[in-house]
Amino acid sequence: MYVSEETTTMPEKLFKVIMIGDPTVGKTSFVQRYMLKTYKKDYKGTVGVDFALKILKWSDTQTVKLQLWDIAGQERFTWMTRVYYKDSHGCVIMFDLTNKNSFINTLKWKRDVDSKCSLPDGSPIPCMLLANKCDLPHRQVDQMEIEAFYKEHNFIGWTETSAKEDLMVEDSMRFLVDVMMRQETGNANLDSDSLRLTGPGPQPARGGCSC
Amino acid sequence: MATYQDQQDRQDDDSGSEASSVLHNGSVISTVPDRHGFLGGSQYTPEPKTTVPASVILRREQKWLSMLSTWEKFMTRHYKKVRERCRKGIPASVRPRAWLYLCGGQLVLQQRSDLFAQLATQNGDPRWIDDIRKDLHRQFPYHEMFVDQDGHGQQDLFTVLKAYSILNASVGYCQAQAPIAAFLLMHMPAEQAFWCLVSICDKYLAGYYSQGMETLQVDGDILFGLLKKVSPSVYKHLKKQKIEPILYMTEWFLCVFTRTLPWDTLLRVWDMFLCEGVKVVFKVALVLLKFSLSRPGVLKKCPSMYETLEVLRNPPHSIMEEEFVIHQIHRLNLTEEDFEYEHQRQLTKRRANQENVRRNQR
Repeated sequence: MYVSEETTTMPEKLFKVIMIGDPTVGKTSFVQRYMLKTYKKDYKGTVGVDFALKILKWSDTQTVKLQLWDIAGQERFTWMTRVYYKDSHGCVIMFDLTNKNSFINTLKWKRDVDSKCSLPDGSPIPCMLLANKCDLPHRQVDQMEIEAFYKEHNFIGWTETSAKEDLMVEDSMRFLVDVMMRQETGNANLDSDSLRLTGPGPQPARGGCSC
Repeated sequence: MATYQDQQDRQDDDSGSEASSVLHNGSVISTVPDRHGFLGGSQYTPEPKTTVPASVILRREQKWLSMLSTWEKFMTRHYKKVRERCRKGIPASVRPRAWLYLCGGQLVLQQRSDLFAQLATQNGDPRWIDDIRKDLHRQFPYHEMFVDQDGHGQQDLFTVLKAYSILNASVGYCQAQAPIAAFLLMHMPAEQAFWCLVSICDKYLAGYYSQGMETLQVDGDILFGLLKKVSPSVYKHLKKQKIEPILYMTEWFLCVFTRTLPWDTLLRVWDMFLCEGVKVVFKVALVLLKFSLSRPGVLKKCPSMYETLEVLRNPPHSIMEEEFVIHQIHRLNLTEEDFEYEHQRQLTKRRANQENVRRNQR
């Protein structure tokens, strides 16, 4: 459990975000990078669930408390997901760019989430798709394919990330929080262009990750 | 991860001092392992243990050696004596042998003496092999045995897990088995560790690692039921916040505390676990639940599920100390009948629930 604080004196919004995806796509490393700004090669595989809390100063008048639930990726733990997903406000589904199967399986994860939880108004919870390990060579997933896939399956956006090199970690999470904030205030116009994830190098640019 | 050569280099550089610390990957890592083989990480305990007097240890060793020489007879006739001696702690020098005998691994090893070597040469199901390979470098990376990517520790770990996934194909490989296998390998050769693992997965914790993990779910409910008796206030708190047992007990039970307890406590818990079975895991869990949350003021600081789970993820060190845990386990006063009663109660409840679900589906 990590707590990283930016400020604590303002009105708070609390969001629960679940991190899912196949084993070893980098969920735990991503959380560590986001929380502690570090990358460890020697993390342990998650058994069950791990938690982390981040407190963000969202604006001059708004503090956001972000609970990250980092969930074991091995298939036999999926019976627990109903309990893990409960009352979550947002979701990150992650795959490994160098592992095609982990990309294919994101659809299974998406369906699992959509079938087991929804927002209070009945709509699906916002899901962001992250293509991790963009620092590595030998990719097995094509950017055009991801682009088509995320639209077809109603993800709120996607980007390439590298937990190891700290690429788009902070930015992607900021994007997700932004979407959740808009949803809270009833301003959830999700097809607006302003909500597209853009970053240095990765999606929607075609040039690939800059590293 | 540091290679063995790095370790060597560091040791050479530091020849002037006995032990020193260097920064490694943002963590402090020692050049000299502690008495359990750890170079760093949360398990590293450099201080020598305040121990039982040498004369007492010597006496205990002799008793254990004598028991081990007539094991079958002793175990059938004097189980209570064995249990008492396990509760006092098995001397480190005989511990590996004692564990192998206690779990019945020695017997199977003799009966099926060539099986492990045979399994070790087979390829295994690629699905499991893939999963196992991904986990090899993430088991106790700060332990001297597992620090090296291609070292013997990781190779043995691969062989043991692969062999199990072939032997019991219906279970295959569950990620929680890796820390258990690695923990066993710290104490004994691969073949013995394998038979201990088989015994733990198929006898002690049967059903925990298989698809669906239904036994674990039932045991979570049993644990919660027992908590009501052990600490009504903590029970009420967890119930109010609707915290399901699997949110805090999954890693404790599936990894038998190898990722939770300080090492000295862990060894004592395993001495009892291999003698008395899964009840010991329940008891330790109850001690952790009770004393993490019932200290003055703690419940007030846990207004929601999240804070409560945070406390349970990181119980204070003082309540995980060897003597404290062992003492409190015995003070719980849970009888065989309490366990049996709660077990039956939960099974009945579960059946009724399933029946309801079925009826509603019709």
